[in-house]
Amino acid sequence: MAHDAHDHHHKESFITKYIFTQDHKMIGKQYLVTAIIMGGIGIALSALFRLKLGWPDDKFPLLESILGSDAAPDGLLDSNWYLGLVTLHGTIMVFFVLTGGLSGTFSNLLIPLQIGARDMASGLLNMIAYWLFFISSSLMAASLFIETGPAMAGWTVYPPLSVLEEFQPGSGLGMTLWLLSMAVFIASSLIGGINYIVTILNLRTKGMTMTRLPLTIWAFFITAILGVLSFPVLLSCAVLLLMDRGFGTSFYMSDIVTSSGALDATGGSPILYEHLFWFLGHPEVYIILLPALGITSEVISTLSRKPIFGYRAMIGSMLAIGFLSFIVWGHHMFMTGMNPFLGGVFTFTTLLIAIPSAVKVFNYITTIWKGNVIMTPAMLFSIGSVSTFISGGITGIILADSALDISQHDTYFVVGHFHIVMGMTAILAMFAGVYHWFPKLYGKMMNLRMGMVHFWFTIVCGYGVFIPMHFLGEGGMPRRYYENTNFPMFDHFLDLNVLISIFATIGVIAQVIFFFNFIYSSFRGPKASQNPWNANSLEWTTPVEHIHGNWYGELPVVYRWPYDYSKPGKENDFVPQNVPLDADEEEH
Amino acid sequence: MENKFIIVVVVALFIIALMQLMKVYDLAAKIRGEKSEEKVTRGENIFNANMLIVFMLTYFGFIIWLIFKYGMNGGLFDAASVHGQEIDSLLLFNWWVILPVFFLTNGVLFVFSWKYYYRQERKALYFPHDNRLELIWTIVPAVALSAIVIYGLKTWNDIMFNDQEGAKVVEVYGFQFGWWTRYSGDDNVLGKADYKLITASNPLGVITSENIQNSYNYLDGEVEKINLLLSESKNDEGEYFLSANNVDSLIGRMERFKRQKYRIKSAIDRGDQNDSVYKSANDDVLVQELHLIKDQPYAMKFRSKDVIHCPWVPHLRMQINAVPGMETSFNFTPTTTTQEMRAKPEVIEHYRVINEIHNERLKKLGEKEEKVEFNYLLMCNKICGAAHSNMKMDVVIETAEEFNSWIAEKQTYAQKASE
Repeated sequence: MAHDAHDHHHKESFITKYIFTQDHKMIGKQYLVTAIIMGGIGIALSALFRLKLGWPDDKFPLLESILGSDAAPDGLLDSNWYLGLVTLHGTIMVFFVLTGGLSGTFSNLLIPLQIGARDMASGLLNMIAYWLFFISSSLMAASLFIETGPAMAGWTVYPPLSVLEEFQPGSGLGMTLWLLSMAVFIASSLIGGINYIVTILNLRTKGMTMTRLPLTIWAFFITAILGVLSFPVLLSCAVLLLMDRGFGTSFYMSDIVTSSGALDATGGSPILYEHLFWFLGHPEVYIILLPALGITSEVISTLSRKPIFGYRAMIGSMLAIGFLSFIVWGHHMFMTGMNPFLGGVFTFTTLLIAIPSAVKVFNYITTIWKGNVIMTPAMLFSIGSVSTFISGGITGIILADSALDISQHDTYFVVGHFHIVMGMTAILAMFAGVYHWFPKLYGKMMNLRMGMVHFWFTIVCGYGVFIPMHFLGEGGMPRRYYENTNFPMFDHFLDLNVLISIFATIGVIAQVIFFFNFIYSSFRGPKASQNPWNANSLEWTTPVEHIHGNWYGELPVVYRWPYDYSKPGKENDFVPQNVPLDADEEEH
Repeated sequence: MENKFIIVVVVALFIIALMQLMKVYDLAAKIRGEKSEEKVTRGENIFNANMLIVFMLTYFGFIIWLIFKYGMNGGLFDAASVHGQEIDSLLLFNWWVILPVFFLTNGVLFVFSWKYYYRQERKALYFPHDNRLELIWTIVPAVALSAIVIYGLKTWNDIMFNDQEGAKVVEVYGFQFGWWTRYSGDDNVLGKADYKLITASNPLGVITSENIQNSYNYLDGEVEKINLLLSESKNDEGEYFLSANNVDSLIGRMERFKRQKYRIKSAIDRGDQNDSVYKSANDDVLVQELHLIKDQPYAMKFRSKDVIHCPWVPHLRMQINAVPGMETSFNFTPTTTTQEMRAKPEVIEHYRVINEIHNERLKKLGEKEEKVEFNYLLMCNKICGAAHSNMKMDVVIETAEEFNSWIAEKQTYAQKASE
């Protein structure tokens, strides 16, 4: 797909430029905008069900006007719909925002720009991947509008609950849409992932060896490999579920009695589903986290004006995390009745992940140490992201311990843990990425001060919501409860739940600052200069305006790694990758 | 309600005002020609650096306040089971390792970011790698984690591979939305059960000759009912006036009932030998609450009728999924009776607070006051449908004498059959 330099002179129609585009930068923007819309839906849902959890006895006419009278008659959320909102919140945030949105946006934008390629290996596949993502997003969003409600069995949709409409209304049409949407989504991720891998391996510019790649690219590379290896398993898992639902098989079903009598199904096992699901489900966590860690590595190094500490150790730990992520899925299943011996094995492998994670954290901190930290919104969000990675990762040590899981499993402790370590870390890094690369996305600058205000609201409210949840969990409160008032033993948490809901509401509303800044700046923001952050990597050597083929003339040639910040003997505190080494200069 | 609406409106207005202010500030700065969106000013660097420290202190303070207010076990008290106490001490050990690391690492991150905020006259240190440092922070976590792994696995194996002699076998059975408990009686063996025998009068599908007969009757009755319905739904020409879908599903159901009867007959029913083959069910007792004897080892068995449930008794630190189609188990020994628990000073104090909050809420709702007492509870901890959050069963831990007099009043399967 090499483009000649004169390519950009071709006139393009609106449709080929903005809709069915094959240009990676535009596709990146399409992913971003889709993810922002889905993210808006996802967090809005959480604000709605937090109303019920914070004020269990109150009626909110607002709910009825938003969700309709089936879902919230008289402003009181229906318990099935509560589960529906929880399920869709999880599904949308995990898959559509933090998988599709995060890797989709930044892999597409940054891979060709940072490795010095004219475009992705296959522009056509790239376009198809986006449109499949768009279709699956639409299907998932559409399931909110059907009468019986969306899927309601939790984002993990464990059978048999997700199989029969008799068990809950959402397991009818809503669940069918969920499965269809996920099947399309998986196809999209596979096509996208293969494209990323091929591009990174084959289209690096001259001099761009694997050990001169920015850490973002390493992160996207490992992420794509994880996705390509694990998503097919989810697809087969979903196909078997589809068969159980529609074609009378019993892969996941056995010995089940419903209100209409005993079913024929025999011999299957829901545990099989859990194994297949979590074989994707756990790598999925790192499919979300690794791009986030890549983005923070890049931002922290650039804005501390200091090389990333331990570049090779960073790559090594990402590889280790990637490998280990495939052999830890059982820690989601300690309490399923799985053989306890296996539980021990999974405890061991899971706790191993803490080692490369610790290495990464200490390397981030050492990068900031004696740096020259510029407090742009991107940097603030990255610092926040490292903080949440520490705060949430550390409680993971408790949950990884199978013995402790007996008293923590499926309580709010788990909810607090994964929202901080996976949700917040990734979403903060995604914001960091948007603020940092906005000049590359739109050629404009976002408002810095609004970004700072957005950061402070987000981090305060994020911790305000999820830290208290650990205490609910230590008190034994199960997750996915429509109301806790059936158990007076939880009454001392009533006010804590109010506090969480207040933080959640403010946190969600504060995102308006970001929406506003994003939309306003993309149209009216001041024009960006070519390299506003004085960064080294190749994307900042491209012209500000978007052109097909990314560079006028020849592709840049790379002579050094991307982290030569504040190198002794240099006049500037940065040396771009395409500057040749001096005669007596050592690489690093 | 209005109050909350007002709060939301105020917050929204606050944000809008903030935006307007920033626009004004932007414009003013632009006119003075001193700012661009690409350069963070010195003032902003200092402001955000200081904010990081303020935030860190608030964050740490918030956590410490939560620990003091809710304690490390959120009002669950010391575990009331042998293995639960092991879990609690393992958890405490973990916290002692983890919390210092948490405060230290977060602290260093924020303090460095604050200390090294951007100053134009300074240059950052060029420090790309240091093998010794990297080795240290690979090895130190590895050693700390080894301790956690070894202690953790020892506890896990103690709990899971714990086949104590003389453990009483009790079954808990989950369904949408409630629980059954079946005691195995004097022989300490649960009578066999099969889901195909489940009827309204035999909710667990326990196999006895009487239950088999009841199932035949039930299935025959259902088949007859459907037959009757179908024959009544025909007009004079022999055509159904029900929709084809309806007819299909009725016939499908009927066929399923016939198959079910055949499967019972061929795989379960042993004819005359039923009474001797399935005799262990005779002394079983079926109830809807769980009574346990203090210091008595139990081998609990769990099954489910429809979807995955998860029996969870927080005070005993006991949890395991109940999965349709398979049996799971959990062995444990309760150590504290309900009465002993109620007499503990920390429990009395905690329930004084709970009663205050509980009755304040009831008053607001206009309901009658009630006294909340400490009770062990078994609840569902795996999403299972609409009433998931109200799927509970009382658990009573008592002395052997109390238990014996309680169970003596319950009917065994044999007693029920002979009535």
